[in-house]
Amino acid sequence: MFDLIEENPSLLLVMQHFNFDFRVGDFTISQLCKEKGISEKLFISIANLYNGFKPKENPIDSVDDVKQIVRFLKNSHDYYRNDKYPQISAYIMQLQKNHPEKELKLLEQFFNEYFAEVIDHLDYEDNVAFPYFIEFLGNRDNLESNAYSAQEYSEHHTDIELKIKDIKNLLLKYVVINDDLNLRRKLLFSLCELEYDLYIHSLIEETILIPFGYNMEKA
Amino acid sequence: MNRHRLHIAIMVHSQIIYEGLHAVLSQSDIDCVICKVDSLDDLENILPSKKVDLLIINPLLLVNREKDVRRIRKNHPNFSIVGIHLGIVDNHSLALLDSSFTIFDTLEQVLSRLQKTGTNSELKFPSNDDNLTERELDVLTQLVHGYSNKEIADSLNISIHTVVTHRKNITAKTGIRSQSGLTIYAISKKIIQIEDVDLQSH
Repeated sequence: MFDLIEENPSLLLVMQHFNFDFRVGDFTISQLCKEKGISEKLFISIANLYNGFKPKENPIDSVDDVKQIVRFLKNSHDYYRNDKYPQISAYIMQLQKNHPEKELKLLEQFFNEYFAEVIDHLDYEDNVAFPYFIEFLGNRDNLESNAYSAQEYSEHHTDIELKIKDIKNLLLKYVVINDDLNLRRKLLFSLCELEYDLYIHSLIEETILIPFGYNMEKA
Repeated sequence: MNRHRLHIAIMVHSQIIYEGLHAVLSQSDIDCVICKVDSLDDLENILPSKKVDLLIINPLLLVNREKDVRRIRKNHPNFSIVGIHLGIVDNHSLALLDSSFTIFDTLEQVLSRLQKTGTNSELKFPSNDDNLTERELDVLTQLVHGYSNKEIADSLNISIHTVVTHRKNITAKTGIRSQSGLTIYAISKKIIQIEDVDLQSH
């Protein structure tokens, strides 16, 4: 595991989302997964997504895998809610303070509104979509009367990373700001990190969780 | 911020105002060269060969010339326009300005306004890939003011389908999708004035 982290430090984020400790010593992936009770296949599939490879087959084999994925997604939500968005928000606020042009005030407003939308989306997934997948597994007989479905989940599921792209484009191409390179770099780095994790997040939902939901409903 | 020489063009019909501005600028700390232009056509003729960072203009000379101003700005994105208000204010012309002052402002106010705007115009970069067509600019302007596709179609006398195509092209050229993002884009590119935007509604 140590070698893999050296090769691609974004693996640390995968580990964090799976509740792995970072002090991996000389343990292998297999050993660490076993210790955490997580399917090795699942861990590798998701780590591969971060490296740009989509899984050839759905890595979900068991009820427990779904629970693990849902836990992983919930942990990523916490990372967005409590770490990434507040960090970006603080950078933008500082930038606006340093450069009191109204353009940046608008950018701040744009971001805050977007942040509120994201929180809505995350709350929705935490409170409606994820419980569905869990409930589904625990009590499959009750499901026919359940109004909610994987179809609905995928329809509600919006591409929340698109507005991050807008903000990045505005900062890299259009909005004139004098100097302040340190702050602007930190902001752009954070935006890129967030954008990438959101992208993987949607991939997990779209290529793993939703297809699995469809298959279960059909079964 | 005074490292670069500012090239200032003045377009006012009153000789007294012109001489006054010339005297004030020449005696100030601003390192500048000044020239007089008689009309927008005159300005357009000299722009390709002469550097102009700032145009100081009586905004009343811009009345009904919105299209010309937009065209000149599009072809020469690196200069700013500062209005000198002599009395009557026309809202349409106001929207074409980057900033303005009145003949009753103190010299300090006038000079700091000019210097700030001049510095900003040096920072503007010409960009070739996101040049929007006149029609796309029309659609963008209405879009950032919150009009729906239907309303834009009606006011420009085109079909909703055409509006949607324009919107797609705007997004393809600028890389910006959301209305809020496009508003900030339009302000950065001086397509609309920040005063046009209600800060609360975006």
